[in-house]
Amino acid sequence: MKKNSGQEKTPVRLKGLGKALCITLDPRDPFDYLKDELVKQFQDKKQLAVNTKIVFDFGGFQGYDDLIVELSAFLKEQFAVGDVSGPLKSKPKHANRPKRLEDMEKSWHKYQSEALILSGRVRSGQKAAAGKHLIILGDVNPGAEVIAGGDILVLGSLRGTAIAGNPDNEESIILALDFRPTQVQIGGYVAAGNPSSAEKMIEFAHIEQGTIVVEDYLKADPFGKIPWPQVR
Amino acid sequence: MSGKIIVITSGKGGVGKTTATASIGAALALEGKKVAVVDMDIGLRNLDVVMGLENRIVFNIVDIVNGRCKVKQAAIKDRRIDNLFLIPASQSDNKDALTPEGVVGVSEELKEEFDYTLMDCPAGIEQGFENSIAAADEAVVVCTPDVSAVRDADRVIGLLYARSITPKLIVNRIVPLMVERGDMLSHEDMVDVLSVELAGLVPMDDNVVVSTNTGVPLVLQKESKAGSAFRRIARRLNGQNDLPIVVPQSQDRFWKKIGSRLGIGR
Ligand SMILES: Nc1ncnc2c1ncn2[C@@H]1O[C@H](COP(=O)(O)OP(=O)(O)OP(=O)(O)O)[C@@H](O)[C@H]1O
Ligand SMILES: [Mg+2]
Repeated sequence: MKKNSGQEKTPVRLKGLGKALCITLDPRDPFDYLKDELVKQFQDKKQLAVNTKIVFDFGGFQGYDDLIVELSAFLKEQFAVGDVSGPLKSKPKHANRPKRLEDMEKSWHKYQSEALILSGRVRSGQKAAAGKHLIILGDVNPGAEVIAGGDILVLGSLRGTAIAGNPDNEESIILALDFRPTQVQIGGYVAAGNPSSAEKMIEFAHIEQGTIVVEDYLKADPFGKIPWPQVR
Repeated sequence: MSGKIIVITSGKGGVGKTTATASIGAALALEGKKVAVVDMDIGLRNLDVVMGLENRIVFNIVDIVNGRCKVKQAAIKDRRIDNLFLIPASQSDNKDALTPEGVVGVSEELKEEFDYTLMDCPAGIEQGFENSIAAADEAVVVCTPDVSAVRDADRVIGLLYARSITPKLIVNRIVPLMVERGDMLSHEDMVDVLSVELAGLVPMDDNVVVSTNTGVPLVLQKESKAGSAFRRIARRLNGQNDLPIVVPQSQDRFWKKIGSRLGIGR
């Protein structure tokens, strides 16, 4: 099942998975290449990696237990990571599909929609809640509350309180076309709202090193860096 | 005759519900309609005082709902305006004396008797609010240009929509000079958040206090800007939807405008 050496290699990717880190790679790629890629990926996340649980995702390929042992030893030595575990069991029908193709074409098709989309105005005293992502086509008034287990996107004016990543998902964001909330919370962190910036821009709040940061969304382009669409 | 029941409500207290009820009621009566204004603030009645009718009260709304009298017996005719009647609150009963079902039970009789029945709702969103909106066909939300009143009005608007009542908005106690200076919320800012149709804009006006003390209805005072604002609101509620909204202006600005036209301003 080894790939030809001439064949294009699959990039190694790192992704937060709750409190753990998930490493996606193609186990058929050469070991040296994988090592190099891992070093690159971990370079700027050194503090993050210490004692963190690692989960490998081989894109459905089974039977690479030796590789896990080798990579585990390597990561523990280089970056002092925590427990390392193998790929989650995946369906055999994907076993022979190259991971990248899967990602680019269909990987999100098997997901049920996990976003609640509401249209209209959320008024004072009203509360809109979603288990995962919440999208409001409308405005959120002062005194209103929107809560989501994941992201909150307001395609309108956000003036009330927004609680994303409830209770502890620090990866979540809160975005609004007109961002002037009373208060925002993400994964347990709280920030009081500020007066909106003078120039009209689309802003979003996210967590950066333990504090909530608000940035110009188009300028920061936080997801433009992900090379292909992923399920969020 | 099958009339309409309109509730005047606000959430926040002291924003001008009672003033609006008395004034719009009087103005609708002047338009030739038969009007009842009902004080739904059980235990804290004051519509009778504002209208100068407190010494004529025999029966009240609780008596009507409990079948102790007919609507006609309890309705007190206004001293100055024909076709205007007050149905007072009971001062002695407590808030539980009325129930929404009880009010709905007498709504047909009210609609039989009057073209318009205006319910002066108490502040808050509890029992008194529920009683007042129970039989309402339409609602008018009164709000002053301040953040907390807007917050409460928004809450009430949500509750009204939840009962399939589409409210209209009155902004009361506007001080044009402060709005122009940016020290007071503008009605545009308020409509932006509340997103409901405007019924009218009422300026701050000393004549309101004069009217309360003398018993001369605001809408009969020729000089009163608030009075003429309420007259326009009444005409709009009475079906004249195309009547333009007049935005209260300060004298100051008026003179500035003339000044610049004559070329004597700066
Ligand atoms: N446009 C106005 N200009 C000046 N004063 C006003 C105006 N509107 C209302 N007021 C004054 O504000 C006070 C409160 O008004 P009003 O009693 O009508 O409010 P309310 O909403 O009925 O209050 P409550 O919630 O206690 O029933 C009164 O003293 C009244 O005279
Ligand atoms: Mg009152």
